[in-house]
Amino acid sequence: MHTFAYARPTLLAEAVALLEAHGPDARLLAGGTDLVIRLRDGTARPGVVIDIKRIAEMRPSIREEAGCLVIGAGTVMTDIAADERVRRSYPALAEAAAVVGSVQIRNRATLAGNVCNASPAADTAPALLVHAARVVAVGPAGTRRIPIDGFFVRSGVTTLARAEIVTAIELPLPDRAMGAVHVRRTRRRGHDLASVTLCCGVDATGVTRIAYGSVGPRPVLAVDESGVLADPTAPGAAKEAIFERLFADASPSPRSMRASPDYRLAMLRVLGARALRIAIDRLARA
Amino acid sequence: MSATSIGASPNRVGGIDRVTGRNEYTADIRLPGVLEARLVALDCARARIISIDASEARRVPGVRLVMTAADLPQPVPRFGPQFEDRPVIAVGETKYHGEPVAIVAAETKDAAEAAAGLVHVEYEELPAVFTLAAALDPAAPLVQEPALRPTDRLASTNVLREHRIGWGDVDAATADVVVENTYTFPMVTHFAIEPHAFMAAPDGDGIAVWSTIQHPNWLQKVLAKVLGLPLSKVRVFAPDPGGGFGGKQHAKLEPLVAFAALRTGRPVRLVLSLEESFQAARRASCEVRVRTGVNRDGALVFEDIAADYLIGAYADIADRVVGKGSYPAAGPYNVPAVRILARSVLSHTVPSTAFRGFGNPQVNWAVESNLDEAARAIGMDRLAIRLRNLAGKGDAFIPFDTPADGDWRQAVERAAELIGWDTPIPPGHGRGLAVGIKSGPTTGLSYSTVRLLGDGSVIVLAGTSDMGQGARTVFAQIATQELGAPLDWVTVVMGDTAIVPYDQQTSASRSTVLMGNSVLQACRSIQAQLAAMAARLHGLDEAHVIVDRGVVHLPDRDLSVLDVLTRGLGRLGGELTGNGEVRKEADPSHPLSGAPAFFEFNCTAVEAEVDEETGDIVIVKHVTVSDVGKALNPLQVTMQDEGAAIQGLGHTLMEHYIYDEKGRIRNLGAIDYRIPTSMDLPLELLSEAVENEDGPGPYGSKGMSEGALLCVASAVGAAVRDATGVAIRDLPLTPERVWRALRDRPTP
Amino acid sequence: MSESAAAFPIELTVNGHRRAIEVAVHHTLLDVLRDDLGLTGAKECCLVGECGACTVILDGRTVDSCLVLAAEADGSEITTVEGLADERLAPLQQAFLDKGAVQCGFCIPGQLLSAHALLADNPHPSLPEIQEGLAGNLCRCGCYRQITDAVLATAERAER
Repeated sequence: MHTFAYARPTLLAEAVALLEAHGPDARLLAGGTDLVIRLRDGTARPGVVIDIKRIAEMRPSIREEAGCLVIGAGTVMTDIAADERVRRSYPALAEAAAVVGSVQIRNRATLAGNVCNASPAADTAPALLVHAARVVAVGPAGTRRIPIDGFFVRSGVTTLARAEIVTAIELPLPDRAMGAVHVRRTRRRGHDLASVTLCCGVDATGVTRIAYGSVGPRPVLAVDESGVLADPTAPGAAKEAIFERLFADASPSPRSMRASPDYRLAMLRVLGARALRIAIDRLARA
Repeated sequence: MSATSIGASPNRVGGIDRVTGRNEYTADIRLPGVLEARLVALDCARARIISIDASEARRVPGVRLVMTAADLPQPVPRFGPQFEDRPVIAVGETKYHGEPVAIVAAETKDAAEAAAGLVHVEYEELPAVFTLAAALDPAAPLVQEPALRPTDRLASTNVLREHRIGWGDVDAATADVVVENTYTFPMVTHFAIEPHAFMAAPDGDGIAVWSTIQHPNWLQKVLAKVLGLPLSKVRVFAPDPGGGFGGKQHAKLEPLVAFAALRTGRPVRLVLSLEESFQAARRASCEVRVRTGVNRDGALVFEDIAADYLIGAYADIADRVVGKGSYPAAGPYNVPAVRILARSVLSHTVPSTAFRGFGNPQVNWAVESNLDEAARAIGMDRLAIRLRNLAGKGDAFIPFDTPADGDWRQAVERAAELIGWDTPIPPGHGRGLAVGIKSGPTTGLSYSTVRLLGDGSVIVLAGTSDMGQGARTVFAQIATQELGAPLDWVTVVMGDTAIVPYDQQTSASRSTVLMGNSVLQACRSIQAQLAAMAARLHGLDEAHVIVDRGVVHLPDRDLSVLDVLTRGLGRLGGELTGNGEVRKEADPSHPLSGAPAFFEFNCTAVEAEVDEETGDIVIVKHVTVSDVGKALNPLQVTMQDEGAAIQGLGHTLMEHYIYDEKGRIRNLGAIDYRIPTSMDLPLELLSEAVENEDGPGPYGSKGMSEGALLCVASAVGAAVRDATGVAIRDLPLTPERVWRALRDRPTP
Repeated sequence: MSESAAAFPIELTVNGHRRAIEVAVHHTLLDVLRDDLGLTGAKECCLVGECGACTVILDGRTVDSCLVLAAEADGSEITTVEGLADERLAPLQQAFLDKGAVQCGFCIPGQLLSAHALLADNPHPSLPEIQEGLAGNLCRCGCYRQITDAVLATAERAER
């Protein structure tokens, strides 16, 4: 591994200043489960690595604040998957967090890191999209709250501006009942990177949100406001037509080793239908 | 029967060190002053090396050596267990993605890594072949220089060897039904959790080498020859490997590391990354065309098998794999006419080598799957057709060869019973049952020495490699059984060619039988000495003294071994030593150079559920029954069989190399090469052993540990066919492949 | 404030012993445990956080030490396999031996630590919970069933 300067600021302003000074030559280190791999294989060669784990504002935390559930940037997947409030109000997010890698990975990997790494296959992205999460970013110009829909550009790239640091992910507290589930396709039952991820949420007003990933450069959110998907009695053909529209933006890469495009597109539909049934069922029991 | 005697399952010898982290694997051993080594390889498969500029690399502080072919004795020595085709380092040309072109040795890992990145190689990519079709094309570039086999008519092709086995007249045979299909088996790798590791150090006027090698004596010979040293000056240390499965049988980078040590005058250590291990060893992939002729009453009439194995750029032991693996390809059945043509085909890929099953799993997948198709064609139950044709004990099912050496029917019937073959099956589920056969060792030589020390404790010196199969424990149990010492008073010494007597190799599931018998012989020699001692002490005729299981039986009483030993050794003390030698000579007239000492036989039965929408296969129940003769340590037998079954599920469901069009492996490493985790097990896994004490090993044992892998794919494929109606002929049965096969199935 | 890359001072408590050492910032916790502290129980295998051979317990949780920079572990408490037993084997280690969960042994340090942490968190795990809890520890010898048996046996024994 190439060496680098290692900084571990304790103040957020310090971290921002470092990022401002070094720009793309600096990389943030939270859980390390993505970055350390890149440092070792040479795909990341920063001059400075900024360890954010000692910054007070980014300490692991899950708290309710101003109508939101706020997940601090340092919060790891293990704690998100186990948190009662997450499991109650955002079960799909808990389910997603529970399948990011293995126990060892989940004990280090942060939600903020998963989001900023911006892999199209990020397990947590679909649930965050369905629940209209916001990325709280602090930079030289102050604090922004960036809606997650639109945050992902392509693999490894987000709309974060230079010198912005994500300090939290916010989830609006639900104002209506919703049933939601996270599903995915993998090559084995043991821990794996997903070849398709999907979250389906059906709310009490009949709106169905489907977010999916690993079938294109970024995760996609698609919404059905017609009420047809949410209606358990609607004919299958009608639902299929809507699914076709919702999945129209899927463009899986033919270069992927994990699955071929036609398999992924077919599995989108299979997962969509299965997730919809589960979401409707969860809404009914909510 | 004491808790440590034969047939009991005492805890693994060496187990305590493993659970405390004290066990030293090769990469855990540090020598003072050791230099860290790194390899330099190219980002392509086959290339002509135009120039190598190491000047910048040599300037990195701490670098002590950058060595290429030019720095070795000329011509660069070559080695290999079958053909001496592999140069110590690439000479003028790389032949596979990952073949090293230079080695760097430095004071620290960081310096070695930095320097390796600064070795500038100018190269020209050359046309290369990575598939059977490409390699067999008449216009294909040749992998091996024809000059290496000048009298071989195949030298102008990429076919290394053709192996023809057969009997009867297939072409004249008439069968009611003929079923013909082609099957493929993927390229997979061993993925031992311990990557290969090597270390060498000058040792006086000789050299000491540490390696994860499974065959220390064989490595010693290779090194002696390549380095021009007598065997007595080459000491090989072989710490227990962290998994071998065949991938660590033969020399790979030890010669290179040895030269580096001699050049620098310092110890040099090379620990491969997991990615480099994937590039060091793999199993041969295979395409098999099978024509099975069967009559309506279920009798097999003929098997006509053509198997092309895609081996790598250097032969390693791959051609032996092809010859020996294809030999019993017609299966453990009485088949009147058989024709097998197996070819080892060279390619610009990772050298394939031995891997648990040794060429048998590939043909088993094809022949057992095809037998199922034949059964369906005549409307016969797939268990019934196997029982109908299965060789009975003593049948010369391969003419002029070792006859069937077990009551194989027993294993089949037991497996069928455990899977509930004749019971109703839930909708959406399917069942498959397959049998597997593998020839045991055809030649062998295992020396051992047993020392009964003055206090009754025992040292066993046996050159087998214990890579997890539990050889240490088995040999200790034999010593305990025969000499009466408690198990924890027995020390087993392995893995040091300077003090452990010669053992040919650890492979072909031979060690319990060959080395076990050798240790038994050595113990019996000590027993004879004890008998003589007791006779002398008590004024008896030796013929009236019997030493058995640690007890000295005199006509009028019994004495303990320790009692006789102590009095017999007297004031000067001392010890008794016994030697064992088990030798199985080669038979040049036999196609395999010898008939096998035993067969491994297994029956695997599987119940599976297929999710037709996604292609997921869930193995609801997996039953494996092996014919083992005698389980000297039943728990270890179970562990080996279950481990083999799980490993077999790997190539069945998820493992395969993915090459790109330039012959580079895309899925090196653990992220995109998937092996079974604890969550990927069958919902129920049952293993049983048939013990008829009819093996040639100690107490009637046979070799085992490969059997339970042989027919896993066949049984699972059969279950999938049963559940879905679709026969899939290519492995692995990934969800995507299954989905695609179901999607593309012809509509009725 | 940037630290020098060459020699970064850290303090760790490893298996109950306080250690003050200097590390290179680009060296992982695995590197430092094996090469600087001589604790070779944690193994090198995949180095990408997939196989679990390098598992250690860091501040009460299992981690792949190949993905943790040593510098990040400053101030932490680390338990390696060498710290599981004193003069006698821990019940979990004994159970691994008794149930035949050890073949080549290379994955075993990681398995033991994952099992140890699992039982600390969940003293009465179900079989699926054990399988999932240990899914991050690959065993190519295929001892999974024996390993889970050993964990179940340890849990049952603790209950009695």
